[in-house]
Amino acid sequence: MSVLDGLKAAALLFVAAIFQVSIFSQARVLGGEPDLLLVTLVAVALLRGSLFGCVGGFFGGLIVDTATLAKLGLTSLVLTLAGYWIGRYGETTGRDRAHAPFLSVAVITVLYAACVLILHFVLGEPAPAGPLFRGLVPSIVLNLILTAPVYALVRRLLRPLDRGDYATEVQLLG
Amino acid sequence: MASRDRTARVAVLGTSVQRSRNERRPPRGRNPQVRRAILLGLVLLALVLLTISFRSPTSGALHSVQGYGATALKPFQVAADRVARPFRDGYDYLSGLTSAKSENAKLRRENRQLRAQAVAAVDAERQLAELKTLVRFEELKTFPNQYRAVNTTVISFPGTPFAQQVTIAAGTNSGLRLNTPVVTADGLIGRVTNVEPNTAQVTLLTDPESSVPAIDVTHGVSGLIRRGPRGTFILDRVPKEAVVKKGDVIVTRGTIDRRLPDYYPRGIPIGDVLSASPSDIATFLTVQVTPYAHFDSLDVVAALIPTK
Repeated sequence: MSVLDGLKAAALLFVAAIFQVSIFSQARVLGGEPDLLLVTLVAVALLRGSLFGCVGGFFGGLIVDTATLAKLGLTSLVLTLAGYWIGRYGETTGRDRAHAPFLSVAVITVLYAACVLILHFVLGEPAPAGPLFRGLVPSIVLNLILTAPVYALVRRLLRPLDRGDYATEVQLLG
Repeated sequence: MASRDRTARVAVLGTSVQRSRNERRPPRGRNPQVRRAILLGLVLLALVLLTISFRSPTSGALHSVQGYGATALKPFQVAADRVARPFRDGYDYLSGLTSAKSENAKLRRENRQLRAQAVAAVDAERQLAELKTLVRFEELKTFPNQYRAVNTTVISFPGTPFAQQVTIAAGTNSGLRLNTPVVTADGLIGRVTNVEPNTAQVTLLTDPESSVPAIDVTHGVSGLIRRGPRGTFILDRVPKEAVVKKGDVIVTRGTIDRRLPDYYPRGIPIGDVLSASPSDIATFLTVQVTPYAHFDSLDVVAALIPTK
Protein backbone atom coordinates (compact mmCIF):
# COMPACT_ATOMS: atom_id res chain seq x y z
CA MET A 1 0.00 0.00 0.00
CA SER A 2 1.26 3.42 -0.85
CA VAL A 3 0.38 7.06 -1.23
CA LEU A 4 -0.41 6.26 -4.86
CA ASP A 5 -3.01 3.73 -3.71
CA GLY A 6 -4.55 6.40 -1.48
CA LEU A 7 -4.73 8.85 -4.36
CA LYS A 8 -6.27 6.24 -6.64
CA ALA A 9 -8.87 5.33 -4.01
CA ALA A 10 -9.64 9.02 -3.37
CA ALA A 11 -10.09 9.68 -7.10
CA LEU A 12 -12.35 6.65 -7.46
CA LEU A 13 -14.51 7.66 -4.51
CA PHE A 14 -14.66 11.29 -5.65
CA VAL A 15 -15.89 10.32 -9.12
CA ALA A 16 -18.33 7.81 -7.62
CA ALA A 17 -19.73 10.44 -5.22
CA ILE A 18 -20.17 13.02 -7.99
CA PHE A 19 -21.87 10.51 -10.27
CA GLN A 20 -24.03 9.35 -7.37
CA VAL A 21 -25.44 12.79 -6.55
CA SER A 22 -25.72 13.92 -10.18
CA ILE A 23 -27.03 10.84 -11.94
CA PHE A 24 -27.56 7.64 -9.97
CA SER A 25 -29.72 9.09 -7.20
CA GLN A 26 -32.23 10.08 -9.90
CA ALA A 27 -32.35 6.62 -11.49
CA ARG A 28 -35.29 5.12 -9.63
CA VAL A 29 -36.39 1.64 -10.64
CA LEU A 30 -39.38 0.12 -8.81
CA GLY A 31 -38.78 2.44 -5.88
CA GLY A 32 -35.12 1.52 -5.49
CA GLU A 33 -32.05 3.39 -6.59
CA PRO A 34 -28.48 2.25 -7.25
CA ASP A 35 -25.73 3.54 -4.95
CA LEU A 36 -22.50 3.76 -6.93
CA LEU A 37 -20.62 5.32 -4.03
CA LEU A 38 -21.54 2.50 -1.66
CA VAL A 39 -20.52 -0.17 -4.19
CA THR A 40 -17.22 1.60 -4.90
CA LEU A 41 -16.54 1.96 -1.19
CA VAL A 42 -17.18 -1.75 -0.64
CA ALA A 43 -14.73 -2.61 -3.45
CA VAL A 44 -12.03 -0.28 -2.07
CA ALA A 45 -12.50 -1.53 1.48
CA LEU A 46 -12.37 -5.19 0.43
CA LEU A 47 -9.18 -4.65 -1.57
CA ARG A 48 -7.37 -2.30 0.80
CA GLY A 49 -8.74 -3.03 4.26
CA SER A 50 -10.48 -1.24 7.07
CA LEU A 51 -8.22 1.84 7.22
CA PHE A 52 -8.90 2.70 3.59
CA GLY A 53 -12.53 1.74 4.16
CA CYS A 54 -13.20 4.14 7.01
CA VAL A 55 -11.17 7.05 5.62
CA GLY A 56 -12.68 6.51 2.16
CA GLY A 57 -16.17 6.32 3.63
CA PHE A 58 -15.68 9.57 5.51
CA PHE A 59 -14.29 11.29 2.42
CA GLY A 60 -17.06 10.01 0.11
CA GLY A 61 -19.76 10.97 2.59
CA LEU A 62 -18.32 14.45 2.94
CA ILE A 63 -18.44 14.94 -0.84
CA VAL A 64 -22.09 13.80 -0.96
CA ASP A 65 -23.15 16.02 1.97
CA THR A 66 -21.31 19.01 0.52
CA ALA A 67 -22.64 18.58 -3.02
CA THR A 68 -26.25 18.13 -1.89
CA LEU A 69 -26.01 20.85 0.81
CA ALA A 70 -27.29 18.25 3.25
CA LYS A 71 -26.35 18.08 6.92
CA LEU A 72 -22.57 17.68 7.00
CA GLY A 73 -21.41 14.51 8.69
CA LEU A 74 -24.54 12.41 8.32
CA THR A 75 -23.50 10.40 5.27
CA SER A 76 -19.86 10.50 6.42
CA LEU A 77 -20.75 8.88 9.73
CA VAL A 78 -22.64 5.99 8.17
CA LEU A 79 -20.13 5.41 5.36
CA THR A 80 -17.18 5.55 7.77
CA LEU A 81 -18.66 2.70 9.80
CA ALA A 82 -19.68 0.83 6.65
CA GLY A 83 -16.19 1.14 5.15
CA TYR A 84 -14.50 0.00 8.34
CA TRP A 85 -16.79 -2.97 8.76
CA ILE A 86 -16.40 -4.15 5.18
CA GLY A 87 -12.65 -3.55 5.41
CA ARG A 88 -12.43 -5.82 8.44
CA TYR A 89 -14.46 -8.44 6.60
CA GLY A 90 -12.06 -8.18 3.65
CA GLU A 91 -9.05 -8.51 5.95
CA THR A 92 -10.41 -11.58 7.69
CA THR A 93 -13.14 -13.99 6.58
CA GLY A 94 -13.90 -12.33 3.23
CA ARG A 95 -10.33 -12.54 1.99
CA ASP A 96 -9.94 -14.34 -1.36
CA ARG A 97 -13.64 -15.22 -1.44
CA ALA A 98 -15.18 -14.70 -4.89
CA HIS A 99 -18.60 -14.02 -3.39
CA ALA A 100 -17.29 -11.44 -0.89
CA PRO A 101 -18.08 -8.31 -2.98
CA PHE A 102 -21.63 -9.43 -3.72
CA LEU A 103 -22.35 -10.55 -0.17
CA SER A 104 -20.85 -7.33 1.21
CA VAL A 105 -22.84 -5.11 -1.15
CA ALA A 106 -26.13 -6.88 -0.36
CA VAL A 107 -25.59 -6.73 3.41
CA ILE A 108 -24.23 -3.20 3.49
CA THR A 109 -27.10 -1.90 1.33
CA VAL A 110 -29.55 -3.09 3.99
CA LEU A 111 -27.45 -1.85 6.91
CA TYR A 112 -26.75 1.51 5.27
CA ALA A 113 -30.46 2.11 4.65
CA ALA A 114 -31.30 1.09 8.22
CA CYS A 115 -28.58 3.34 9.70
CA VAL A 116 -29.70 6.34 7.64
CA LEU A 117 -33.30 5.70 8.73
CA ILE A 118 -32.27 5.53 12.38
CA LEU A 119 -30.11 8.66 12.15
CA HIS A 120 -32.91 10.66 10.53
CA PHE A 121 -35.28 9.40 13.21
CA VAL A 122 -32.86 10.33 16.00
CA LEU A 123 -32.39 13.81 14.51
CA GLY A 124 -36.15 14.31 14.52
CA GLU A 125 -36.44 14.45 10.74
CA PRO A 126 -39.06 12.67 8.63
CA ALA A 127 -38.02 9.02 8.34
CA PRO A 128 -40.80 6.95 6.79
CA ALA A 129 -39.82 3.29 6.86
CA GLY A 130 -42.43 2.26 4.24
CA PRO A 131 -40.69 3.67 1.13
CA LEU A 132 -37.39 2.35 2.46
CA PHE A 133 -38.56 -1.24 2.74
CA ARG A 134 -40.50 -1.10 -0.53
CA GLY A 135 -37.38 0.06 -2.39
CA LEU A 136 -34.90 -2.11 -0.54
CA VAL A 137 -35.03 -5.22 -2.72
CA PRO A 138 -34.78 -3.25 -6.01
CA SER A 139 -31.88 -1.26 -4.49
CA ILE A 140 -30.06 -4.46 -3.56
CA VAL A 141 -30.58 -5.87 -7.06
CA LEU A 142 -29.38 -2.66 -8.71
CA ASN A 143 -26.31 -2.50 -6.46
CA LEU A 144 -25.53 -6.15 -7.17
CA ILE A 145 -25.72 -5.41 -10.91
CA LEU A 146 -23.20 -2.60 -10.39
CA THR A 147 -20.93 -4.73 -8.22
CA ALA A 148 -19.25 -6.85 -10.92
CA PRO A 149 -18.10 -4.00 -13.21
CA VAL A 150 -17.23 -1.65 -10.35
CA TYR A 151 -15.26 -4.30 -8.45
CA ALA A 152 -13.43 -5.30 -11.64
CA LEU A 153 -12.49 -1.65 -12.30
CA VAL A 154 -11.38 -1.01 -8.73
CA ARG A 155 -9.43 -4.28 -8.67
CA ARG A 156 -7.68 -3.22 -11.86
CA LEU A 157 -6.62 0.06 -10.28
CA LEU A 158 -5.91 -1.30 -6.81
CA ARG A 159 -4.24 -4.66 -7.24
CA PRO A 160 -4.99 -7.17 -4.44
CA LEU A 161 -2.35 -7.13 -1.71
CA ASP A 162 -0.16 -9.93 -0.50
CA ARG A 163 -1.37 -11.67 2.61
CA GLY A 164 1.30 -10.00 4.71
CA ASP A 165 -0.05 -6.56 3.90
CA TYR A 166 -3.33 -7.26 5.62
CA ALA A 167 -3.87 -6.75 9.30
CA THR A 168 -2.75 -9.82 11.17
CA GLU A 169 -5.10 -9.46 14.09
CA VAL A 170 -7.16 -12.38 12.84
CA GLN A 171 -5.67 -15.17 10.72
CA LEU A 172 -7.66 -17.83 8.93
CA LEU A 173 -6.69 -21.37 9.58
CA GLY A 174 -6.32 -23.93 6.82
CA MET B 1 1.54 -14.31 27.21
CA ALA B 2 2.06 -15.19 23.55
CA SER B 3 5.22 -14.18 21.83
CA ARG B 4 4.85 -11.29 19.34
CA ASP B 5 6.52 -13.41 16.67
CA ARG B 6 3.90 -16.15 16.75
CA THR B 7 1.52 -16.58 13.81
CA ALA B 8 -2.20 -16.95 14.43
CA ARG B 9 -2.14 -20.59 13.37
CA VAL B 10 0.58 -21.25 15.84
CA ALA B 11 -1.23 -19.25 18.48
CA VAL B 12 -4.31 -21.38 18.08
CA LEU B 13 -2.36 -24.59 18.17
CA GLY B 14 -0.64 -23.40 21.26
CA THR B 15 2.88 -24.24 20.19
CA SER B 16 5.91 -22.08 20.43
CA VAL B 17 7.20 -22.29 16.85
CA GLN B 18 8.78 -18.99 15.80
CA ARG B 19 7.73 -17.00 12.74
CA SER B 20 10.27 -17.33 9.93
CA ARG B 21 12.58 -14.33 9.69
CA ASN B 22 11.84 -13.58 6.03
CA GLU B 23 8.04 -13.37 6.57
CA ARG B 24 6.68 -9.88 5.89
CA ARG B 25 5.87 -7.71 8.81
CA PRO B 26 2.59 -5.80 8.75
CA PRO B 27 3.17 -2.38 7.20
CA ARG B 28 3.37 0.73 9.30
CA GLY B 29 -0.01 2.07 10.37
CA ARG B 30 -1.70 -1.32 10.32
CA ASN B 31 -1.53 -1.58 14.04
CA PRO B 32 -5.02 -2.37 15.41
CA GLN B 33 -4.79 0.43 17.98
CA VAL B 34 -3.90 2.99 15.28
CA ARG B 35 -6.68 1.72 13.07
CA ARG B 36 -9.26 1.93 15.83
CA ALA B 37 -8.02 5.36 16.86
CA ILE B 38 -8.47 6.60 13.29
CA LEU B 39 -11.97 5.10 13.14
CA LEU B 40 -12.88 6.70 16.47
CA GLY B 41 -11.44 10.05 15.34
CA LEU B 42 -13.43 9.99 12.09
CA VAL B 43 -16.65 9.01 13.85
CA LEU B 44 -16.16 11.82 16.38
CA LEU B 45 -15.38 14.29 13.59
CA ALA B 46 -18.52 13.23 11.72
CA LEU B 47 -20.59 13.65 14.90
CA VAL B 48 -19.11 17.12 15.51
CA LEU B 49 -19.88 18.16 11.90
CA LEU B 50 -23.38 16.75 12.24
CA THR B 51 -23.99 18.58 15.50
CA ILE B 52 -22.76 21.92 14.16
CA SER B 53 -24.70 21.67 10.91
CA PHE B 54 -27.82 20.53 12.77
CA ARG B 55 -27.66 23.49 15.16
CA SER B 56 -27.08 26.12 12.45
CA PRO B 57 -28.19 24.69 9.10
CA THR B 58 -28.25 27.96 7.16
CA SER B 59 -25.55 30.12 8.76
CA GLY B 60 -22.16 29.98 10.47
CA ALA B 61 -18.59 29.18 9.51
CA LEU B 62 -19.25 25.53 8.66
CA HIS B 63 -22.12 26.56 6.41
CA SER B 64 -19.80 28.96 4.58
CA VAL B 65 -17.18 26.22 4.16
CA GLN B 66 -19.88 23.91 2.84
CA GLY B 67 -20.90 26.66 0.42
CA TYR B 68 -17.37 27.02 -0.91
CA GLY B 69 -17.17 23.24 -1.21
CA ALA B 70 -20.46 23.09 -3.09
CA THR B 71 -19.25 25.85 -5.42
CA ALA B 72 -16.03 23.93 -6.06
CA LEU B 73 -17.95 20.71 -6.76
CA LYS B 74 -20.48 22.36 -9.07
CA PRO B 75 -18.35 22.11 -12.26
CA PHE B 76 -17.83 18.39 -11.62
CA GLN B 77 -21.56 17.88 -11.11
CA VAL B 78 -22.37 19.81 -14.29
CA ALA B 79 -19.76 17.77 -16.19
CA ALA B 80 -21.19 14.50 -14.86
CA ASP B 81 -24.66 15.64 -15.82
CA ARG B 82 -23.49 16.41 -19.37
CA VAL B 83 -21.76 13.06 -19.68
CA ALA B 84 -24.92 11.27 -18.59
CA ARG B 85 -27.38 13.41 -20.53
CA PRO B 86 -27.36 11.34 -23.79
CA PHE B 87 -28.00 8.17 -21.78
CA ARG B 88 -30.70 9.85 -19.72
CA ASP B 89 -32.36 11.26 -22.84
CA GLY B 90 -32.30 7.80 -24.40
CA TYR B 91 -33.89 6.29 -21.30
CA ASP B 92 -36.52 9.04 -21.18
CA TYR B 93 -37.29 8.48 -24.86
CA LEU B 94 -37.78 4.74 -24.36
CA SER B 95 -39.84 5.15 -21.20
CA GLY B 96 -41.83 7.86 -23.00
CA LEU B 97 -42.63 5.39 -25.79
CA THR B 98 -43.81 2.85 -23.23
CA SER B 99 -46.02 5.29 -21.40
CA ALA B 100 -47.25 6.80 -24.68
CA LYS B 101 -48.99 3.54 -25.57
CA SER B 102 -50.97 3.36 -22.35
CA GLU B 103 -51.57 7.11 -22.45
CA ASN B 104 -52.83 6.80 -26.01
CA ALA B 105 -55.35 4.14 -25.04
CA LYS B 106 -56.49 6.21 -22.09
CA LEU B 107 -56.95 9.31 -24.23
CA ARG B 108 -58.97 7.33 -26.79
CA ARG B 109 -61.34 6.21 -24.06
CA GLU B 110 -61.65 9.73 -22.78
CA ASN B 111 -62.27 11.02 -26.26
CA ARG B 112 -65.14 8.61 -26.80
CA GLN B 113 -66.71 9.66 -23.53
CA LEU B 114 -66.34 13.31 -24.38
CA ARG B 115 -67.89 12.85 -27.80
CA ALA B 116 -70.79 11.00 -26.27
CA GLN B 117 -71.40 13.81 -23.83
CA ALA B 118 -70.83 16.48 -26.50
CA VAL B 119 -68.57 18.51 -24.26
CA ALA B 120 -66.23 19.70 -26.96
CA ALA B 121 -65.33 22.77 -25.00
CA VAL B 122 -63.60 20.77 -22.29
CA ASP B 123 -61.40 19.10 -24.88
CA ALA B 124 -60.53 22.42 -26.45
CA GLU B 125 -59.62 23.80 -23.05
CA ARG B 126 -57.30 20.91 -22.40
CA GLN B 127 -55.60 21.35 -25.75
CA LEU B 128 -55.18 25.02 -25.03
CA ALA B 129 -53.59 24.25 -21.68
CA GLU B 130 -51.19 21.82 -23.36
CA LEU B 131 -50.22 24.40 -25.96
CA LYS B 132 -49.62 26.97 -23.25
CA THR B 133 -47.03 24.79 -21.61
CA LEU B 134 -45.08 24.70 -24.85
CA VAL B 135 -44.35 28.43 -24.74
CA ARG B 136 -42.10 29.94 -22.12
CA PHE B 137 -43.92 29.84 -18.87
CA GLU B 138 -42.98 33.43 -18.05
CA GLU B 139 -45.44 34.42 -20.76
CA LEU B 140 -48.31 32.50 -19.21
CA LYS B 141 -51.07 34.37 -17.42
CA THR B 142 -50.36 32.27 -14.38
CA PHE B 143 -46.87 33.74 -14.07
CA PRO B 144 -47.02 36.06 -11.06
CA ASN B 145 -46.71 39.83 -11.48
CA GLN B 146 -43.77 41.67 -9.95
CA TYR B 147 -41.55 38.60 -10.22
CA ARG B 148 -38.84 37.63 -12.65
CA ALA B 149 -37.72 34.09 -13.39
CA VAL B 150 -34.15 32.88 -12.94
CA ASN B 151 -33.97 29.81 -15.14
CA THR B 152 -31.57 27.13 -13.97
CA THR B 153 -31.07 23.38 -13.83
CA VAL B 154 -31.17 20.72 -11.14
CA ILE B 155 -27.62 19.52 -10.53
CA SER B 156 -28.08 16.98 -7.77
CA PHE B 157 -30.83 14.90 -6.35
CA PRO B 158 -31.58 13.62 -2.85
CA GLY B 159 -28.69 11.74 -1.23
CA THR B 160 -31.03 9.51 0.77
CA PRO B 161 -34.48 8.08 0.10
CA PHE B 162 -35.89 10.25 2.89
CA ALA B 163 -34.61 13.59 1.65
CA GLN B 164 -36.98 15.52 -0.60
CA GLN B 165 -34.52 18.20 -1.61
CA VAL B 166 -32.71 18.93 -4.86
CA THR B 167 -29.79 21.24 -5.53
CA ILE B 168 -30.07 23.83 -8.30
CA ALA B 169 -27.29 25.66 -10.14
CA ALA B 170 -28.21 29.18 -9.02
CA GLY B 171 -27.66 30.95 -5.72
CA THR B 172 -27.38 34.35 -4.10
CA ASN B 173 -25.32 35.62 -7.04
CA SER B 174 -28.43 35.18 -9.22
CA GLY B 175 -30.70 36.87 -6.67
CA LEU B 176 -31.99 33.79 -4.85
CA ARG B 177 -32.76 34.07 -1.16
CA LEU B 178 -34.07 31.73 1.51
CA ASN B 179 -37.71 30.77 0.79
CA THR B 180 -37.56 31.85 -2.87
CA PRO B 181 -40.32 29.88 -4.69
CA VAL B 182 -39.18 27.48 -7.40
CA VAL B 183 -41.39 26.36 -10.29
CA THR B 184 -41.32 24.39 -13.52
CA ALA B 185 -43.36 25.09 -16.63
CA ASP B 186 -46.02 22.82 -15.12
CA GLY B 187 -46.32 24.37 -11.69
CA LEU B 188 -44.90 24.92 -8.23
CA ILE B 189 -42.27 22.46 -6.99
CA GLY B 190 -41.00 23.98 -3.72
CA ARG B 191 -38.92 26.71 -2.13
CA VAL B 192 -35.27 27.44 -1.40
CA THR B 193 -34.27 26.24 2.07
CA ASN B 194 -30.51 26.65 1.87
CA VAL B 195 -28.65 29.03 -0.37
CA GLU B 196 -25.01 29.48 -1.36
CA PRO B 197 -23.43 31.93 -3.85
CA ASN B 198 -23.83 29.61 -6.83
CA THR B 199 -26.08 26.80 -5.67
CA ALA B 200 -29.22 26.42 -3.62
CA GLN B 201 -31.11 23.62 -1.97
CA VAL B 202 -34.80 23.38 -2.84
CA THR B 203 -37.15 21.53 -0.52
CA LEU B 204 -39.84 19.98 -2.69
CA LEU B 205 -43.56 20.01 -1.99
CA THR B 206 -43.25 16.24 -1.63
CA ASP B 207 -41.37 16.76 1.63
CA PRO B 208 -43.57 15.64 4.55
CA GLU B 209 -42.95 18.94 6.33
CA SER B 210 -43.86 21.15 3.37
CA SER B 211 -47.17 22.97 3.42
CA VAL B 212 -48.43 25.62 1.02
CA PRO B 213 -51.49 27.84 1.47
CA ALA B 214 -53.58 27.13 -1.62
CA ILE B 215 -56.94 27.99 -3.10
CA ASP B 216 -59.40 26.24 -5.38
CA VAL B 217 -59.84 28.88 -8.09
CA THR B 218 -63.15 27.41 -9.27
CA HIS B 219 -64.94 27.52 -5.93
CA GLY B 220 -62.71 29.85 -3.90
CA VAL B 221 -62.06 27.32 -1.15
CA SER B 222 -58.77 27.71 0.75
CA GLY B 223 -56.64 25.07 2.39
CA LEU B 224 -53.10 23.83 2.95
CA ILE B 225 -51.35 21.65 0.37
CA ARG B 226 -49.45 18.78 1.97
CA ARG B 227 -47.92 15.55 0.72
CA GLY B 228 -50.48 12.83 0.13
CA PRO B 229 -50.37 9.12 -0.69
CA ARG B 230 -48.87 7.68 -3.91
CA GLY B 231 -47.49 10.87 -5.42
CA THR B 232 -50.56 13.01 -4.77
CA PHE B 233 -51.16 16.03 -2.53
CA ILE B 234 -53.85 16.63 0.07
CA LEU B 235 -55.64 19.96 0.30
CA ASP B 236 -55.93 20.03 4.06
CA ARG B 237 -58.07 22.17 6.38
CA VAL B 238 -61.01 22.40 3.99
CA PRO B 239 -64.31 22.65 5.92
CA LYS B 240 -66.75 19.79 5.35
CA GLU B 241 -69.45 22.14 4.09
CA ALA B 242 -67.17 23.58 1.35
CA VAL B 243 -67.83 22.69 -2.29
CA VAL B 244 -64.86 21.17 -4.10
CA LYS B 245 -65.28 19.21 -7.32
CA LYS B 246 -63.08 16.82 -9.24
CA GLY B 247 -61.00 18.72 -11.80
CA ASP B 248 -60.95 22.00 -9.88
CA VAL B 249 -57.65 23.81 -10.32
CA ILE B 250 -55.60 24.44 -7.18
CA VAL B 251 -53.16 27.38 -7.12
CA THR B 252 -51.13 29.14 -4.46
CA ARG B 253 -53.19 31.50 -2.32
CA GLY B 254 -50.52 34.18 -1.86
CA THR B 255 -50.38 36.82 0.83
CA ILE B 256 -53.71 37.69 2.44
CA ASP B 257 -52.42 39.89 5.25
CA ARG B 258 -49.31 42.04 4.60
CA ARG B 259 -48.22 41.54 8.20
CA LEU B 260 -47.98 37.81 7.52
CA PRO B 261 -46.51 37.56 4.01
CA ASP B 262 -46.58 34.19 2.29
CA TYR B 263 -43.48 32.70 0.63
CA TYR B 264 -45.41 32.05 -2.57
CA PRO B 265 -47.08 34.64 -4.82
CA ARG B 266 -50.73 34.10 -5.68
CA GLY B 267 -51.75 32.04 -8.67
CA ILE B 268 -48.93 29.53 -9.21
CA PRO B 269 -50.57 26.30 -10.41
CA ILE B 270 -50.14 23.32 -8.10
CA GLY B 271 -52.50 20.66 -9.42
CA ASP B 272 -56.11 19.68 -9.96
CA VAL B 273 -58.55 17.93 -7.67
CA LEU B 274 -58.56 14.17 -8.08
CA SER B 275 -61.27 13.49 -5.50
CA ALA B 276 -63.09 15.27 -2.69
CA SER B 277 -64.96 13.27 -0.12
CA PRO B 278 -66.19 13.87 3.42
CA SER B 279 -65.40 11.35 6.11
CA ASP B 280 -67.40 10.54 9.22
CA ILE B 281 -64.35 10.62 11.46
CA ALA B 282 -62.31 13.41 9.85
CA THR B 283 -62.86 17.03 10.87
CA PHE B 284 -62.16 18.31 7.38
CA LEU B 285 -62.99 17.36 3.81
CA THR B 286 -60.49 14.93 2.25
CA VAL B 287 -59.37 16.58 -0.98
CA GLN B 288 -56.80 14.69 -3.04
CA VAL B 289 -54.88 16.72 -5.62
CA THR B 290 -52.87 15.49 -8.60
CA PRO B 291 -49.77 17.69 -8.94
CA TYR B 292 -49.01 19.30 -12.29
CA ALA B 293 -45.24 19.19 -11.78
CA HIS B 294 -43.41 15.93 -12.49
CA PHE B 295 -41.26 15.50 -9.41
CA ASP B 296 -39.57 12.36 -10.76
CA SER B 297 -38.02 14.12 -13.75
CA LEU B 298 -37.01 17.59 -12.63
CA ASP B 299 -34.52 19.19 -14.96
CA VAL B 300 -35.05 22.85 -15.91
CA VAL B 301 -36.62 24.95 -13.17
CA ALA B 302 -37.14 28.65 -12.49
CA ALA B 303 -36.71 30.55 -9.25
CA LEU B 304 -39.13 33.44 -8.82
CA ILE B 305 -37.32 36.60 -7.72
CA PRO B 306 -39.35 39.65 -6.65
CA THR B 307 -38.65 42.63 -8.93
CA LYS B 308 -39.38 45.15 -6.15
